[in-house]
Amino acid sequence: MAAADGLAFHEFEEATNLLAETPDAATTSKSDQLTPQGHVVVAVGSGGSYGVEEEVEEEGDKTALLQEEKPQPGFWTFSYYQSFFDVDTSQVLDRIKGSLLPRPGYNFVRHHLRNRPDLYGPFWICATLAFVLAVTGNLTLVLAQRRDPSVHYSPQFHKVTVAGITIYCYAWLVPLALWGFLRWRKGVRERMGPYTFLETVCIYGYSLFIFIPTVVLWLIPVPWLQWLFGALALALSAAGLVFTLWPVVREDTRLVAAVLLSAVVVLHALLAMGCKLYFFQPLPPEHVVPPSKATALPPNILLTPTMSRSMATS
Amino acid sequence: MKPADGSIMNETDLTGPILFCVALGATLLLAGKIQFGYVYGMSAIGCLGIHALLNLMSSAGVSYGCVASVLGYCLLPMVILSSCAIFFSLQGTFGTMSALVIVGWCSLSASKIFISALDMEGQQLLVAYPCALLYGLFALLTVF
Repeated sequence: MAAADGLAFHEFEEATNLLAETPDAATTSKSDQLTPQGHVVVAVGSGGSYGVEEEVEEEGDKTALLQEEKPQPGFWTFSYYQSFFDVDTSQVLDRIKGSLLPRPGYNFVRHHLRNRPDLYGPFWICATLAFVLAVTGNLTLVLAQRRDPSVHYSPQFHKVTVAGITIYCYAWLVPLALWGFLRWRKGVRERMGPYTFLETVCIYGYSLFIFIPTVVLWLIPVPWLQWLFGALALALSAAGLVFTLWPVVREDTRLVAAVLLSAVVVLHALLAMGCKLYFFQPLPPEHVVPPSKATALPPNILLTPTMSRSMATS
Repeated sequence: MKPADGSIMNETDLTGPILFCVALGATLLLAGKIQFGYVYGMSAIGCLGIHALLNLMSSAGVSYGCVASVLGYCLLPMVILSSCAIFFSLQGTFGTMSALVIVGWCSLSASKIFISALDMEGQQLLVAYPCALLYGLFALLTVF
């Protein structure tokens, strides 16, 4: 199926496509297949779950370390995590593009991650998303103040911490729960093994990327446009998650598959709506007392920040 | 973009970086902001973070002094930005654009030196992004 011709990389793409559709097809590849620029090509397959496959050796000094037989270093050393940061710019960009445009036949893990999950993408996407949420949340208040001078704005730095904690907890705890659940149901599944924990983290991390431009677009103060952008981003992101998880839950009972997929989508929707409502809550004008008299000014200044904080936490 | 010579980081030198940090604090002081603590604190924590990240991303390790040295030397455009802030306020369109340009300049030059010294080809943008976040924090300090 994979001929050892000049376009070795392209051939492998086709093989991966067919493999994603029929997981029990037998594939053979030459063990000395080289890719043109030493670009990282995956070692597909984990044991017997994919039928007959052989590992494709790749050349490249960056990945030579991984191929050597050496004892696994402890998780408290740097070298344990080094293998998870071994990505190029082009690989990260390719993974981001793959998460932005999910397609039914293409499994994100098989196509883009190629069984080499990285921690760089999820970590920095979460950091960027938290940072952008906090900044745009403050910017909406600034813009609201410019439009309506009676609104009192004070920089709300606590939003940075709230954003950070929320995004990182979501991006790490939900994959943990999902991974645990899939492993628990492993016995039901014969053909395809569950994803490793890091692959699940990668799936979730890259699926959050679409929210970064959406959050920036939420600065536009038109409510129906904001909901439209939110729905669009949620649809793309949830579709990516569902298409990636579908091959894994396909062999399970229909009830479990439906419950799992709907739980994933609902959690994602809750995150999106929570972010929209918490960070972009406009200060309603009737709750803000306009500074009518000079003597009444100090109590107003004390009053409006507490009002805005109580509005934000409600 | 011309690649930087990889051997320039063979000897690490912290005199220049400390001088630039002091210069940044001094120009901020002249602009009316007393924020020496933030400058030193963010430099230290940023150096730690970039040091950890570069050790994870490169096959050869990197010492803390090398990271501090490169980041400190590439802070010079930020000193130029904060000296501009003495004469006119940066809170406007021109200020924002120049801050973005300076942040890009700092992070691209820092990442260029890192990847040529540590021989990490193809990862320049991946290194530039965390450096851009760090220099962005300095720019926030300068602009606001």
